Amino acid sequence: MDTLGLLASILYQFGTNAAFLLLAAIGLVVILGMMNIINLAHGELMMMGAYIATIVTHRGIPFPLAVLLAFLLVAMFGAALERVIIRRFYGHELGALVVTWGISLIMGQGTLLFFGPFMPSIGIPGGSFSLGAYSFATYWIVLIGVSAILIAALWWIYQNTRFGLMARATMQKAAMAEALGVNTDRVYMLTFALGSGLAGACGALLAPTVSISPLMGQQFVAPAFITVVVGGAANVLLGAIGSSLLLSAVKTPVGLLFGAFIGTVALLLTALIIIRLMPNGVSFYLQRFTERRVGA
Amino acid sequence: MRLLHLVNGGEDLGRSRWFWIGFAAVILALVALPLYQTEFEASNASYYLLNIPLALGLSMLWGYCGILSFGQVAYFGIAGYAYGVIAGNLTETSWGPLVGSVGGLLLCAAVGAIFGYFVFFGRVQGWIVPILTLVFTLLLETFLGQTAGYQWRIGAVQLGGYNGMTGIPPFQIGNFIFQGYAFYFFALSLTVAVYFISRVLMNAHFGKIMIAIREDVLRTETLGYDVRFYQLGVFVLAAMLAGLSGLLYVQWGNYITPSQVGLLPAALPVIWVAVGGRNRLLAVAIATYLLNWINYTLSEAGNQYAPVIMGALLLLVMLFFPRGIIVAIAELRWPWRRDVTPVSVQDRSA
Amino acid sequence: MATQIPKELETQAESGQAVERRTVVQGIAAAVAATALPKFGVMTRSTALAAESGPVKIGFIEDYSGNLSVYGLQKLHAAQLAIKEINEGKTLKGGPVGAGGLGAEANFAGKPPTIGIEGTGLPVVNDGGPKDHKDVVFAEDEDVLIDSGDKGILGREVQLIAPDGQSNNALWQQLARRLIQQDKVDVLVAGFASAEREAIRPIVDRAKQLYFYTNQYEGGVADANTFCTGPVCEQQVIPGVSYMVEKFGPRGYTIAADYNFGQLTAAWTRAFAPLVGGEIIGEEFIPLSVSEFSTVIARIQQAKPDWVMTLLVGQNQHNYYPQAAAAGLRLPMVSTVNMAQGYEHRRFKPPSLAGMHNAIQYQMEVPTNRNRAFVKRWMAMFPNDQYIGEMAQNTYFTIHLYAKAVRLAGTTDQQQVKKALESGWTIEAPEGAVFLEPGTHHCAHYIRLAVCDENHNVSFPRSWPMIQAWWLQRLGVNLIRHPEYKQYVPDEDPYFAMFLKNKSKKT
Repeated sequence: MDTLGLLASILYQFGTNAAFLLLAAIGLVVILGMMNIINLAHGELMMMGAYIATIVTHRGIPFPLAVLLAFLLVAMFGAALERVIIRRFYGHELGALVVTWGISLIMGQGTLLFFGPFMPSIGIPGGSFSLGAYSFATYWIVLIGVSAILIAALWWIYQNTRFGLMARATMQKAAMAEALGVNTDRVYMLTFALGSGLAGACGALLAPTVSISPLMGQQFVAPAFITVVVGGAANVLLGAIGSSLLLSAVKTPVGLLFGAFIGTVALLLTALIIIRLMPNGVSFYLQRFTERRVGA
Repeated sequence: MRLLHLVNGGEDLGRSRWFWIGFAAVILALVALPLYQTEFEASNASYYLLNIPLALGLSMLWGYCGILSFGQVAYFGIAGYAYGVIAGNLTETSWGPLVGSVGGLLLCAAVGAIFGYFVFFGRVQGWIVPILTLVFTLLLETFLGQTAGYQWRIGAVQLGGYNGMTGIPPFQIGNFIFQGYAFYFFALSLTVAVYFISRVLMNAHFGKIMIAIREDVLRTETLGYDVRFYQLGVFVLAAMLAGLSGLLYVQWGNYITPSQVGLLPAALPVIWVAVGGRNRLLAVAIATYLLNWINYTLSEAGNQYAPVIMGALLLLVMLFFPRGIIVAIAELRWPWRRDVTPVSVQDRSA
Repeated sequence: MATQIPKELETQAESGQAVERRTVVQGIAAAVAATALPKFGVMTRSTALAAESGPVKIGFIEDYSGNLSVYGLQKLHAAQLAIKEINEGKTLKGGPVGAGGLGAEANFAGKPPTIGIEGTGLPVVNDGGPKDHKDVVFAEDEDVLIDSGDKGILGREVQLIAPDGQSNNALWQQLARRLIQQDKVDVLVAGFASAEREAIRPIVDRAKQLYFYTNQYEGGVADANTFCTGPVCEQQVIPGVSYMVEKFGPRGYTIAADYNFGQLTAAWTRAFAPLVGGEIIGEEFIPLSVSEFSTVIARIQQAKPDWVMTLLVGQNQHNYYPQAAAAGLRLPMVSTVNMAQGYEHRRFKPPSLAGMHNAIQYQMEVPTNRNRAFVKRWMAMFPNDQYIGEMAQNTYFTIHLYAKAVRLAGTTDQQQVKKALESGWTIEAPEGAVFLEPGTHHCAHYIRLAVCDENHNVSFPRSWPMIQAWWLQRLGVNLIRHPEYKQYVPDEDPYFAMFLKNKSKKT
């Protein structure tokens, strides 16, 4: 019975590691992957979502609604940011980098000044279940599912809606899209809002599992960047899935055998090697693979 | 005199006689600093100065050659730790610090060469390089952070993990130990020397190739230059300059921790360089000094708004002076000259 | 391969001269201003003359922003409370001769009282039952805050100079330099994390500055200028582990923050567990940046220990508790840091910290009368504070101790005050009687075992009225005879190797 438990434990590890990477990265996938804006404030956007969800849940609003609220509010904030600041930096990644760093400083310290260094967190919803000698949190199973649903939803939006069509056109050739009547300004704003909102929602989803403090966003920045870059730009969604699965597949067994630290080192080393060997990211090969399968 | 001609080339701010007079005046003010500032304040000024080689290296790498590296602090750390280990083990002799300094620089060059080979000879381009360098930095920080156990020692010196390496010996030549005012002069002279060497380099042939690579890699290659070697070369140079800053830092503070190699410190040189104006060495030097001074003054005052003010400053600078605030000031007075400046000198890359 | 500068660039350079002149003048002005500005707003050098008159300056560096601010703000408030009391002419009982608390015969309840988590009034959830046990108990002193007969210290007002370290070690160094060299503080009280202490200790030693480190830590600092008033491993690990072994079984698993404090405390635990009948069957060191613990939890479940030793520091690592609880991990835990510093049992929802034990000298829930009086005074001054942690209480009594030492020395001259401190002091702190040992510069503490139940209410089922910090004594440290300036690590103690070699050594 214990081998079943062990197997379940390994699968669970793998799933949670991948889900964590994916949730940390989804917001950035949209902003960095699709708009090429190096958003160093990504962690702070997630923090904002986490704070909103925590405050709102403490007032008694049910958690799923809190996540939705976080999505909406952070999306609006993102739209405002884009309007006022970010739009001046398209094509100037370095400027975007410095500016978003400045924004992250302001957001982080502002939260500290406003809310103090700590806020009581919301408990992890749901209970646990056990298999053999191992027990697992139900919430993480939910998160694994939610991350898959989010990616699927994004995929659906970009493939099947009018907005998705316009967005893809703008990403491929903005001038051409504009010439064909697409309001590229609106597209950029909505895309940035979407990315921010997703970051906020993911922050809200991860809020029960972490401690709520002004600098909590920092723990998501590095994993998010690494996941997005390893994923590559050829197909950002496919890439995000592929890279989170791949990186988790390295981190999980190494972590189980040698400890969490070596797992982190293995993840970073793998990222280093992949980025070097496959500079276009995992998605490039995945894309070719799927195209070949479909006979394109 | 060819050297004079090189110093006065066009790739950095200021060429005229008046500029040099002003420059000399500033240097004079800095040299005379001990006359009107306490040793403590001179020590602070040393800290602002010693970050300049790091920023200059990044400027050459990024502003002139177009390669953004988030990993300069890694070499800062490597040199600092190497010096700590070597000089810490050679405490009986008086040339321990010298050997340590040379060792630190050589180690930086070696690691930079290996990493640069890994990156540039694979023709990895675009914005992958910053991510690679950032990952390398994080890897180094994580590794150094877990060296807390007693088994992590080289000779008599413990690496110390997140407690850091303490008691690093100050720099000395013969029996003279550089501390306080002496160290200030040491840092000042080194910084000025490094600045001039960089300036000459960027105005010389090497600098021109850098700019050519930044503008158009393919074109430069078709002109017969092996781009990879030049990229590797400037990367190693930047690594050594970052290492120099690291050496000065541990000689100043006698202490280094893995958090010097973390995510926050990695972004700082990029910010100094971006705010100053990344393709003008002097602008970068001035911005580094000023930003460090502002940050310290704000935080020393117990000001909880320090990071907010820094963030707002960054925002304003990037919104209104995207090419760098010092560069904007320097170019302020002749907007009608902008269209005269040839396209190849303008910075088009992002 | 000389290249010609294009004509256009030449003309640009020359015609820019007029402009350059103006820019240059502005530049010089800016540069001179920049180098001169730091001088203003900072105290001038004439304050050196004011050494024996004028206010007594206490330099205080903690983090009020950044990662460690939750700890730093508590310590700041402690310092402010202590200084207010000193300036009002109050002091704590105690004197330069060691004496523990007095004993008396009394009745007491079979179980200790359980203190609830609601608010700061320390509500008693369960008073332990009828008082039908009879034995010797420590006499309770309600009034440990007495008149000092002095206004301030030696008639001089006490001033707190407290810049913000911002959880940034490089800034800590600059601030330490400033406080010592520029502000010329009479005493430096600073440091939460061991990394921060080690960053400024070399600066302290160079200036021979009197320095108090008021946090619990991994032990081993033997520095003639430094007095460590927090508990150390031998005072916390051994009582805690022996209790866990007795109650839950011998097999323990350690998870620790991957830096000095975690490594050294884990080494202590590993070496001493066999001597009290326990065994550490596995260890895991976790980098400070890790916030996701499913791998760690799985490994713990695999190892099947009887209890877990948690030495987790910092925001990211505190995520372990809710995650472990959610994953259904119900093993009892023991720590030397959690609960008492970052008040996790108030920040996380029950039952995340259920079954958490900590062997500490102080937690806000200590149910003695003197502590309740102290908490009342604190909350009167800082009504919005959520908790008073162990290091805040340490800071509080340390500053009172400094005041008493200065009165004994008759001067604020740092070398004289150090000698006065080395006479061996008892001070009646909110935790109980604390004894500052002369030779090792460390304190003997009243240690209690705190237990958190599934509603996050706290009780103290066992206490050890005085445990000395004996490790440095065994190493032969006597800072009065042989001044030293280093930190010892367990591997320098030959006994550790001896303990580690043989597994089960219950005597």
